[in-house]
Amino acid sequence: MRMMKLALLNFRNGFRNYLSLVISLAFTMSVFLNFQNIIYSDALALLGERNKNNVDTIVQVISVVLVCFMFFFIWYSTNVFLTRQKKEIGIYVFMGLTNQKIGKLYMIEITLIGLSALVLGIAFGTAFTGLFQMVLLALSDLVVEISFQFVLQPVLITAGVYLVIYLIFVLKGYADIVRSSVLDMFTGARQNEYIRQSFILLWIRALLGVVVLGTGFYFAVKEGGMEVLGNVFLAVVLVIAGVYLLFGGLIPLIFQGLAGRKSFLYQKTRCLWVNNVIFRMKKNYRTYAMVCVLVLCSVTALATGFAMKARYENIVHFENTYTFQLLSDRKDLDDEARELIEECTPIAFSSYIPITTLEESQIKTTTRYTGYAITSWSALKNLAEEAGLSFELEEPEEDEYIRATNMILFSLITDVTSETAVIEGKTFRQIQRTQEPYLGYLQERHVNLFILNDEEYEKLRPAGRELYVYNYKITDPKAFAAARDRLSELVEQIRQKDGYIGRVAIDPEGEDDRKWIKVLYSLCEFMFMVFIFASGSIMSMKLYNDSFEEKERYLVMKKLGFESRLLGRSIACELAAAYGMPFVVMSIASYFSVHALEKMMFADLRMINVVSVLAVGVVFFVCYRLSVRVYRRNVGV
Amino acid sequence: MNENKVSLSAKNLLKNYGTKNFETRVLKGIDLTVYQNDFIAIMGPSGSGKTTLLNILSTIDKPSQGEVMLADKEIARLSNKELSRLRRDKIGFIFQDYNLLDTMTLQDNIALPLSLNGVSGKECVRKAKELGDMFGLSEHLGKYPWQLSGGQKQRGAACRALITDPEIIFADEPTGALDSKASRELLKCLKAVNENGRAAILMVTHDPFCASYAKDVYILSDGLIKCRISRGGERKEFYDRIIEVQSSMGGDLS
Repeated sequence: MRMMKLALLNFRNGFRNYLSLVISLAFTMSVFLNFQNIIYSDALALLGERNKNNVDTIVQVISVVLVCFMFFFIWYSTNVFLTRQKKEIGIYVFMGLTNQKIGKLYMIEITLIGLSALVLGIAFGTAFTGLFQMVLLALSDLVVEISFQFVLQPVLITAGVYLVIYLIFVLKGYADIVRSSVLDMFTGARQNEYIRQSFILLWIRALLGVVVLGTGFYFAVKEGGMEVLGNVFLAVVLVIAGVYLLFGGLIPLIFQGLAGRKSFLYQKTRCLWVNNVIFRMKKNYRTYAMVCVLVLCSVTALATGFAMKARYENIVHFENTYTFQLLSDRKDLDDEARELIEECTPIAFSSYIPITTLEESQIKTTTRYTGYAITSWSALKNLAEEAGLSFELEEPEEDEYIRATNMILFSLITDVTSETAVIEGKTFRQIQRTQEPYLGYLQERHVNLFILNDEEYEKLRPAGRELYVYNYKITDPKAFAAARDRLSELVEQIRQKDGYIGRVAIDPEGEDDRKWIKVLYSLCEFMFMVFIFASGSIMSMKLYNDSFEEKERYLVMKKLGFESRLLGRSIACELAAAYGMPFVVMSIASYFSVHALEKMMFADLRMINVVSVLAVGVVFFVCYRLSVRVYRRNVGV
Repeated sequence: MNENKVSLSAKNLLKNYGTKNFETRVLKGIDLTVYQNDFIAIMGPSGSGKTTLLNILSTIDKPSQGEVMLADKEIARLSNKELSRLRRDKIGFIFQDYNLLDTMTLQDNIALPLSLNGVSGKECVRKAKELGDMFGLSEHLGKYPWQLSGGQKQRGAACRALITDPEIIFADEPTGALDSKASRELLKCLKAVNENGRAAILMVTHDPFCASYAKDVYILSDGLIKCRISRGGERKEFYDRIIEVQSSMGGDLS
């Protein structure tokens, strides 16, 4: 009972000190709770079962990531608590308390902190579920009426997961204390970090880190077929391991090397902050590495979201151009098809174009595509006029071509003329690239259309197989099914006569079973923000904690007459290194992770990469400025 | 009386602690002049105001009344920034608990004040090594404080205090944490530094043996300088005189 009283007293007196810890834990929990709530609430049920199922699956995957994150976060927070308590523990030793009793005291105190965080997290999380869903749906561009509803299941899951993880670390802390020697505990506060690490060990880690990280990058960007997914998984594991080794090896090695070069070191405040970075490195490298991996995840999450959104818009954009498309070797299908459709509904517009498909062996391009076809400039012009599509293409010269592609989100390749194609042995230079959906769904999915000068097309026409594309957009969407059935009869007839025909039918009113992609996009944006703020808060907490350990040192320096201005500059440099190291490593690694994603999702995400890295930079800069201010205040500079 | 330049002078120093109606006067009117070649030890019983006097003279604390002139400047009139600069350029400190920064090697500790002053890296290295040699620390410059003995640490702290070529060094119980051998080594070094004209030294100590390395010993009691003993001949003889005065004044001066 007396132990309980003491623990309660400690908890009450120290609560203000641990408030940041409690808030961080509560924040993590409320994020997890909100994601869980997406699964168990019926807010997204209106999207249809298939969409809801897809969103649920994605949320489950995200939840696994969040559980991992929670695991590390709780590990880290309980460690911070243990470090801060060590001074008091030393005093208890002299009061004659046994290790077991001190351990028990620690357990009660940290449990009280954990429970406060739990209550706060669940309360915040539940209060914000409505807002979270509203923002999520607004970002996803979906109209669903949201009403506040309390669902018990996500609360139970969140509390359960949190308590299990928390309990593991409470017991770990208890075991640490019980196993410690009295001397360890007494000197605990002073025994924080060992200074320099063995050069041999650092070299081994550094070399290993570079090799592992390099291999990870290699697998991330390696071209391949079905094995790409396996490569990407391998890349993720290697990059995480590599980042840890880099922070545990190469970076301390560089700093220790710099500290060894006295002419470099003895320049104003360098002597102070470079030595401080080395001093802190052994203990902090895991935090830096974790933050680096977290922000890397956030950048990748955002890129995934954008890639998904781009894919969705591509599909919608191209698929809705025409209702029906026929691709056949018969030149005279238009009247027949038109007649069949018009029996059901008037046609809003239609278009027709002859194209010549080429085998991969007949064409060699700078970038490899799937599905090649050529057509003439005049034929495409006719098609655009018929379909009412914009046509702002200059006729190519005899050695030039224009390429009609699917939609690309961003492109940093401004010089489209750098691409070339060798068709039947003749080299053509690309002069323009268009994303106008002249061939609708076919252009989005199957055909890379090379538009040639009329004469050149005529020359090359015999080299491939000439096919005719007939496109129709109907006016009455309700008549879609009837018109589709009529066309199916035609398709069947031609097939029976051994003719070649393919048909595309897109229901204008069909249920969009891809709405989940929009939700995924918003979820990815949330993940981006969650990871960035989590990283920022971890760094801030770490440095906040460090500042208390540095207080005495700065007091000495002030007594020695070192100006506050210089000490402040040294702190600014030290903290800039702390934030800068993970940022730089992440920026480099993100190039590879986003590149890997680009390959998988056929999207140009370079701009997203740059923008998200800049966003991380901005958040880090704000956290950095705050940390410098708090640090200076805590050490009294 | 010394004929050389005055490093520091204090006139009628008073220092009170506590609130208005419950004030305790710790210093009751101290007049003191320290010349360039002086090596002064201040002794006195606990609570006599030794450390308070040292703190005021070294600009760490402010007097309630009176004037302190350091390097021809009255310190009460200086801004915090100017005070910092004065501490940085004109004063060196040696503390009882060394106060070396455990984040850096001994050489870095010694060179730090110079480096912060913007002196070139080469010059920092040269001076740190020179002082390291002088204090017998050449072998230990690459070590961290936790790898050094108390004596080595304190000699390192003395090097750090001297590297900016200060006019005066304030030492607060510099041998308080050292054994007699380490104390002797440190004091010999300090004496040599003073005799070479590098800096004046003002040292607070309760140890007569330590005080016997100084040129003058001031006995502080009840907030006033009660007596001054000047060294004439041998250190041993000086030490005996200090003990004698100590006994005549009631024994314990610690």
